[in-house]
Amino acid sequence: MAATMSPFSARRRILAIAHHLRAPPTGSSFALRDTQHHEQPATTSSASPAPVRVCVTGAAGQIAYTLLFSIASGHVFGPNQPVALQLLDIPQGAEAMNGVAMELQDCALPLLAEVIQTTNPLVAFKDVDYAILLGAMPRREGMQRKDLLRANVGIFKEQGEALDRVAKKSVKVVVVGNPANTNALICAHYAPSIPSRQFTALTRLDENRAKAQLASRAGVAVENVKNVCIWGNHSNTQFPDVAHGYIVASDREVPVADYVGDKAYLEGEFIKTVAMRGAAIIAARKLSSAMSAAKAVADHVRDWHQGTPDGEFVSMAVISDGNMYGVPPGLVYSFPVVIDKKGKYRIVPGLDVSPFARAKLDATTAELQEEKREALDHIAHQVAAVPAVTAKPATQGTQAAAPAQGSSVSTN
Amino acid sequence: MPALAPPATQHPAKVEPLRVCVTGAAGQIAYSLIINIANGTVFGPEQPVILQLLDIAPALEAMKGVEMELYDCALPLLAGIVLTTDPLEAFRDVDYAILLGAMPRRAGMLRKDLLKANVGIFQVQGAAIDAVAKKTVKVVVVGNPANTNALVCSHYAPSIPKANFSALTRLDENRAKSMVAVRAGVAVDQVKNVIIWGNHSNTQYPDVAHAHITRDGARVAVEEAIKDEAYLHGEFIKAVALRGAAIIAARKLSSAMSAAKAVVDHVRDWHFGTRSGEFVSMAVVTDAHAAAAYGIPEDLCFSLPLSIKEDGHYEVVAGLPVSDFARGKLDATVAELEEEKAEAFAHIEYLAAVKKAEEEAKTAHANGDAAPVAEVSA
Repeated sequence: MAATMSPFSARRRILAIAHHLRAPPTGSSFALRDTQHHEQPATTSSASPAPVRVCVTGAAGQIAYTLLFSIASGHVFGPNQPVALQLLDIPQGAEAMNGVAMELQDCALPLLAEVIQTTNPLVAFKDVDYAILLGAMPRREGMQRKDLLRANVGIFKEQGEALDRVAKKSVKVVVVGNPANTNALICAHYAPSIPSRQFTALTRLDENRAKAQLASRAGVAVENVKNVCIWGNHSNTQFPDVAHGYIVASDREVPVADYVGDKAYLEGEFIKTVAMRGAAIIAARKLSSAMSAAKAVADHVRDWHQGTPDGEFVSMAVISDGNMYGVPPGLVYSFPVVIDKKGKYRIVPGLDVSPFARAKLDATTAELQEEKREALDHIAHQVAAVPAVTAKPATQGTQAAAPAQGSSVSTN
Repeated sequence: MPALAPPATQHPAKVEPLRVCVTGAAGQIAYSLIINIANGTVFGPEQPVILQLLDIAPALEAMKGVEMELYDCALPLLAGIVLTTDPLEAFRDVDYAILLGAMPRRAGMLRKDLLKANVGIFQVQGAAIDAVAKKTVKVVVVGNPANTNALVCSHYAPSIPKANFSALTRLDENRAKSMVAVRAGVAVDQVKNVIIWGNHSNTQYPDVAHAHITRDGARVAVEEAIKDEAYLHGEFIKAVALRGAAIIAARKLSSAMSAAKAVVDHVRDWHFGTRSGEFVSMAVVTDAHAAAAYGIPEDLCFSLPLSIKEDGHYEVVAGLPVSDFARGKLDATVAELEEEKAEAFAHIEYLAAVKKAEEEAKTAHANGDAAPVAEVSA
């Protein structure tokens, strides 16, 4: 990797952007201090802020079980910010969801102002500030990717339309259910009155995994591994990139490539390990990673809410625009981003892209374009096949995709 | 740059990590609990921790999966992880031991058998704690029957003060508080000093006689805010005691999230202390002082109201008036705990006698003595 821009130049650039975007500091800064001593009763004091409304779909599932506790405990929005949880799942999950709501109550959490549970997206997304979409159609034995995509188009169409109708226009959406990137794209497509930049997919888990691998390899604490980012799709084509990363060691900052000093590893086994980590967890636990996935969601939302630390960037899959890094516009693509204190993100510009990285970026682009094409195909068939019997959203911008030519519904 | 030792946290003012053992580490409650120990929720944002995880051999793969996930959580305070099936490794130098693992009750199993099986487990763990843990170790038993398991554990760790052994009743307390909060229409953190007395079982006594809420800035006794003695002495008590079953009915799994949160609260308060005027419930080994305060026997693991000082030492809150109703409830749970204790210790005696007989047989054999040893009756 012939880097013409060292991680430090990149860092200076990030600091410059952060300074440019930074708003004057607000009153409440989130620092997790003596959490057992915050006297302010969150929901009864007139001085406490209004609750942040957070919808979590797939609320009866594994990731939600860890994540809901984390949100309600103050790990995401801080120790002084009450939250209202709006839980959504399918009817088959309603009883289990009720059990989760009961447990949340039994947790005796001062910041938990309210819990709503529903199987109706129009209730679940009402007035939400954040929507965390964990639920998606899981891949079953023998299922083709086509079938998976078709089922997920159905789900994210319904949820996108509901968000469009009832969520706050400032809602921030995080899609976790796979295929996350393309599901986020579909969701955004069906919520035209909400800026598409507010739709993201989770690649923070891959980033955290990448940092953990490097920390272990380098023999340093994980929080001393910085600016390692994930490009592209949350799939096997993802590109965990260390070219702009550095390790803090003995008060010095050393580029990852120099510290680890094994290019073959960084371009080979490291990338594979990160991409296959999910499968490795399943092999050991016989269940997929809930704990670490929930932690990654918490990180993604927390940073999106309060901003990233100076000089540091994080990975989020966001809608590509302006041909940054040679990625065509209109894909949900993981990029390194910085986020200001007002919660606005910007893709980090001007990072050097080596030939090696170029190939990686292009490969994951190709996969995402293929997924998008298939998704739009299904969307076209959806619109052609289903007459508009559901009530149209009242005066909400333009409708979803125009019907495709040809009215036959082919079963792929 | 050479690769160094296992990852170490690099805080400027380096704080010595706390060593925390969790048994039953591959299980449900552990999955909800461990992340919250490792992320600073229990011991605060400046305190690194080393997790020493113990489970049985069949669970080793699953434990490895948990370890992988912990690394993937990228937690700055997690200074190290030890995975083991050996209690002598798991309890080495620990500051806290959280014993989630126990023999679960299977269909058709009598309580006798459950107690016997658990005596075996807590004998081994108590002895290991005695051998290798820090002498200041604090132990929280969650695996049921929690109170009696804690007593047995303490019995086998004679070099550790009895006061360092506890069983979890904080889940019952949190459940009771949240029900009061809903009924009284206040936030749950406005409910204080609800007590759980006795055994973590159906004989527990959730007591609001000394509890209060804060509403519109004013302190109101719970019995004033909820003027319904029939409810407080009847349905309320049953609802708290049966809450676990209600969760199982809905989830088809037992409460892990809320149990883990209760462990977090129990350990955090034991570590940092409680606020002035506030008390919490922990099942602790009764000494003469506690026994005299409430007319209960010594040397039971009994849930009591405690205030905990900043140095982590607790005191039983004495002098709370005990109504006739409460007296009846206390006596019932005492009776159950005494029965469990008697059964457990009968088995302990049996095990000791068997061991003695084996040793005598060994000595006799070594001396070439062919005389048979009399059988020890169970």
